[in-house]
Amino acid sequence: MTTKTKAEPKSSGVTNGGARIVVDGDDEVLSPTDLSEMLAEGTKDSHDKAENCQFVKDFLRGRIKRELFKRGTAALYFVYAAMEEEIEKNEDHPHIAPIYFPAELHRREALARDLEYFYGEDWESQISLSAGTKPYVDRIHEVGQRDPVLLVAHSYTRYMGDLSGGQILKKVAQRALKLPSTGEGLNFYQFEGIHSQKGFKQLYRSRMNELELDAETKERIVGESNRAFSFNMMVFTELEEIGKTIKEEVQDAGLGHSHAEIMEGMDGGDINKCPYYAAKMVASGNPTYACQLAMTLLRHPPCQWALAAWVALLAGFTAWYLL
Amino acid sequence: MADMDADTAAHTEPSVEEEEPFFSNLDLLLFSLIVGIVVYWYMSRKKPEPIPEFKKLDTPAPAARETSFIEKMKKTGKNIIVFYGSQTGTGEEFANRLSKDAQRYGMKGMAADPEEYEMAELARLSQIENSLAIFCMATYGEGDPTDNAQDFYDWLQEIDDEDLSGLNYTVFALGNKTYEHYNAMGKYVDKRLEELGAKRIFDLGLGDDDGNLEEDFVSWREQFWPSVCEHFGVEASGDDSSIRQYELKEHTDLNMNKVYSGEMGRLKSFEVQKPPYDSKNPFLAPVTVNRKLNKAGDRHLMHVELDITGSKIRYDSGDHVAVFPTNDSAMVNKLGQILGVDLDVVISLNNLDEESNKKHPFPCPTSYRTALTHYLDISQPPRTNVLYELAQYASDPKDQENMRRMSSSSPEGKALYHSWVQGACRNILAILEDMPSLRPPVDHLCELLPRLQARYYSIASSSKVHPDRISICAVVVEYETPTGRTNKGVATNWLKNKLVTDNGHKSTVPMFIRKSQFRLPFKATNPVIMIGPGTGIAPFMGFIQERGWLKEQGKEVGETVLYFGCRYKNEDYIYQEELEEAEKKGVLTQLNVAFSRDEEKKVYVQHLLKNSKEHLWKLIHSDNAHIYVCGDAKNMAKDVQTALQDIAEELGGMTRTQATDYVKKLMTKGRYSQDVWT
Ligand SMILES: Cc1cc2nc3c(=O)[nH]c(=O)nc-3n(C[C@H](O)[C@H](O)[C@H](O)COP(=O)(O)OP(=O)(O)OC[C@H]3O[C@@H](n4cnc5c(N)ncnc54)[C@H](O)[C@@H]3O)c2cc1C
Ligand SMILES: NC(=O)c1ccc[n+]([C@@H]2O[C@H](COP(=O)([O-])OP(=O)(O)OC[C@H]3O[C@@H](n4cnc5c(N)ncnc54)[C@H](OP(=O)(O)O)[C@@H]3O)[C@@H](O)[C@H]2O)c1
Ligand code: HEM
Ligand SMILES: Cc1cc2nc3c(=O)[nH]c(=O)nc-3n(C[C@H](O)[C@H](O)[C@H](O)COP(=O)(O)O)c2cc1C
Repeated sequence: MTTKTKAEPKSSGVTNGGARIVVDGDDEVLSPTDLSEMLAEGTKDSHDKAENCQFVKDFLRGRIKRELFKRGTAALYFVYAAMEEEIEKNEDHPHIAPIYFPAELHRREALARDLEYFYGEDWESQISLSAGTKPYVDRIHEVGQRDPVLLVAHSYTRYMGDLSGGQILKKVAQRALKLPSTGEGLNFYQFEGIHSQKGFKQLYRSRMNELELDAETKERIVGESNRAFSFNMMVFTELEEIGKTIKEEVQDAGLGHSHAEIMEGMDGGDINKCPYYAAKMVASGNPTYACQLAMTLLRHPPCQWALAAWVALLAGFTAWYLL
Repeated sequence: MADMDADTAAHTEPSVEEEEPFFSNLDLLLFSLIVGIVVYWYMSRKKPEPIPEFKKLDTPAPAARETSFIEKMKKTGKNIIVFYGSQTGTGEEFANRLSKDAQRYGMKGMAADPEEYEMAELARLSQIENSLAIFCMATYGEGDPTDNAQDFYDWLQEIDDEDLSGLNYTVFALGNKTYEHYNAMGKYVDKRLEELGAKRIFDLGLGDDDGNLEEDFVSWREQFWPSVCEHFGVEASGDDSSIRQYELKEHTDLNMNKVYSGEMGRLKSFEVQKPPYDSKNPFLAPVTVNRKLNKAGDRHLMHVELDITGSKIRYDSGDHVAVFPTNDSAMVNKLGQILGVDLDVVISLNNLDEESNKKHPFPCPTSYRTALTHYLDISQPPRTNVLYELAQYASDPKDQENMRRMSSSSPEGKALYHSWVQGACRNILAILEDMPSLRPPVDHLCELLPRLQARYYSIASSSKVHPDRISICAVVVEYETPTGRTNKGVATNWLKNKLVTDNGHKSTVPMFIRKSQFRLPFKATNPVIMIGPGTGIAPFMGFIQERGWLKEQGKEVGETVLYFGCRYKNEDYIYQEELEEAEKKGVLTQLNVAFSRDEEKKVYVQHLLKNSKEHLWKLIHSDNAHIYVCGDAKNMAKDVQTALQDIAEELGGMTRTQATDYVKKLMTKGRYSQDVWT
């Protein structure tokens, strides 16, 4: 088993969901320089943070809105489409070939089916790359083109995670969103080509360890994996913030118009373009959004005209908030 | 949150667009507005917007809440209460199902949220006659209770002087094996209630969400209800039909084209074959070779080759092939005879619960003959729930009592089941033969029997060498039971009889491939150590072929070491010629064979491992060798693991614990793989 242990003391109630796996005291005995071990060890803190960010914690408690789940699925679609595109391009690369398992791992098709289930046949026209997901996607393309060995890190972070905690999320989502037990909407979590997830993770680790890499490259892969964790958290954070603006009740999306749905009609789903949203971010105490709001406003060319609109909107917002 | 954002920002920096100087053309008005909002936010922080509590919104607060479950039970005439500790609803769902079940057994149940009731009342539950408290408890966090069971948990921990004698209870725990504190909450409640004097009337059930939670629950509850009835001395409700899950429909005028004749999914899928092939749509592969491997002895070890030409099926060495066997037709006929039914009647069994997504227990409409031949398991000893349900059809009260007893949780009952059914290897036919008064209707029997499962075999060929064929190496199962019957393994006897040509027809086998993780290393230069006595040699025949092929391609191939074991050199040293040939060619760098019965002292593969420990240790510790073990899970695989731990301890200078961890870690890292079965 892996050695992901918690640094923080026991917390009460349902706060975190990681499996605590027995730590082996003496790591020196068996090649601690194996990449699989360096990764498990080196991303422990990131994993703790990811598991404990608000969005994930709420999710684990079954507090997930359908709208957010849909958006999360869309975000994943862009991430996996990028990742798998780059992996395919590099499939013969000596550092990618050993971990190339398209039949077992690749998720793009599964995500497309999920999106079709949630959004209908024209799902492609209904989703768009959100601001919180774009840096992640860009980074994947960047490493795919310039430094393919780092794709190992991206692949590890997502696929191994999906084969571990992802299975817990699947069950939670199925129950919380009352998704059909036949698996519609959850194809992403269902690895048809993998019979034993534990066994597959072992095979995957052995393949990562077979890669011929020097110490420096291994360190870079660990670094990139931590970075991938951060990108994931950015996506979660964005979803969490969107969630605050959705007045939708858990489980009953579709009854009346949720704010999110209305906005979706307005701007194709990029919530960050919504000034209301940015202002709300500011109001919710997230300083980076203040900057972002300002930037957004400034990039608008007819500034005077826009300003008037902003003022009106913000005033409206403030009034709303006060009530 | 703050550190996390900092983190994110730092990491994403290269891809974020160049930031413009903040004050370059900033409109003051805008700035002040933002400042205003920030200030506003600051001021209003003390009264944050309440985050909607979904749970509370769900249930409008009742005017006056009843916190006494005893009062409520009395008022509504309930005797069973099912408490649930649930976060995402599974435990709650199980509780609801259990409370509904009660009715089928002539009792009345209600599901209850422990948060809503005064749990100290448990001490008084015995005021209600034949009362029982069931607990469906999920575990979270680090072995913690769910939110709604927190108070109950605290209460259980605090009370010391409470006397719960008189309280009947049972617990079903919901958890997930990946967690270190597996089912901690359920286990705690079960143990604590006993300490406080309550009476456990049925064993703790453990549900594993990592495996199949639903199955764990269903099999627990199947055993649980009979035991409750037995405990309270109540009969399952007189109305038989209420216990049935499916309703029988006989078809008299159905077009035979609409009747299933053994297909797993799509009707007629055997006549018109379409890829992709999987468990719902198996490929009918012609048998091209079926030969006996052993030179002598009364066993039958066989090598079977399946032709997959044109099927688009791809496989890797180490994968499994699944086959769908059929039951012995003589046995099916005997069942028909003993039950006095026409097996060719076409029927459907339709689920009475229309909401269930399982409409039929097996593909319907079909004939009893097809169901008993293709779809139902008639050869394994039936489980206790089957005996319990069938008991009502025994006309001799003695038989009836024995069957009920065997399905109860009493020690005598369990012992009787253990010896009379399992120990004696009695399948359903043997039971009917030995209990002449038991004559259940065939449709109810078909409803109760489990599905006939596909059988898996480790593929004994390499797709690099044989892309169009799949080899199986198997041993025919046949044994004498304590009652003097001969039991025959379903799949192996069926395979044995799959002659290459049968009256001019090709024999075929419905099959599909299941991918496995039992794979050769990516780099051919990595050494491999293969350990597989008996039929455990199967995947290694594929591995050896593949390493040979790599060599032929001019690749540098690392050491390839095999440990094989069998009984007698002259009887069951299977694939001897192939193995010796591979050794001659240098594909196998070492061929070690243990003959267990040729000498007085048993020689097993693990003994040979010890004999060459220095070299093995070097391969494992210094040369990154992959270890593969295949075959018997019960004894061999464990003994081999112990032998390797011994070697690590001795030659690696480790303590016992370190050596154990060392081997475990090899497994975690995929350098010690097992393909084992019981
Ligand atoms: C992943 C995997 C890979 C496998 N690979 C192979 C392989 O390569 N080769 C191979 O031969 N098998 C293999 N098996 C086993 C195989 O799937 C079948 O279980 C086996 O062939 C027996 O099937 P059967 O239908 O003939 O016997 P069944 O009708 O299923 O009867 C078997 C059962 O009979 C009982 N039984 C057997 N012997 C006795 C006895 N002496 N006394 C009392 N009870 C007894 C046991 O309960 C046993 O479970 C594999 C299994 C798995 C899970
Ligand atoms: N329950 C058991 O004890 C047991 C053991 C082996 C196989 N099986 C099962 O029986 C079926 C047929 O097996 P098979 O025909 O492939 O095997 P097999 O021919 O019965 O056995 C192969 C060799 O393994 C030896 N062996 C027995 N116990 C061993 C152990 N603990 N460690 C190492 N080697 C051991 C046997 O020796 P001896 O027979 O002379 O002892 C024999 O030489 C399989 O399904 C397998 O799972 C069960
Ligand atoms: C939702 C909350 C999460 C839970 C409950 C969770 C749970 C787990 C568990 C139980 C494991 C054990 C692995 C094992 O035994 O092999 C694991 C491993 C892992 N998780 Fe998570 N996880 C969560 C979130 C995440 C996120 C957000 C990511 C990154 C995107 C992630 C990435 C990983 C990776 C890469 C591993 C593999 C570790 C290794 O074997 O090296 N997890 N997780
Ligand atoms: C965040 C989280 C933490 C969990 N922790 C444990 C645990 O420590 N031990 C355990 O046995 N199961 C654990 N589980 C598994 C749950 O108990 C299991 O999935 C159960 O079926 C949930 O039931 P519920 O839907 O009624 O809440 C955990 C699940 C989640 C989502």
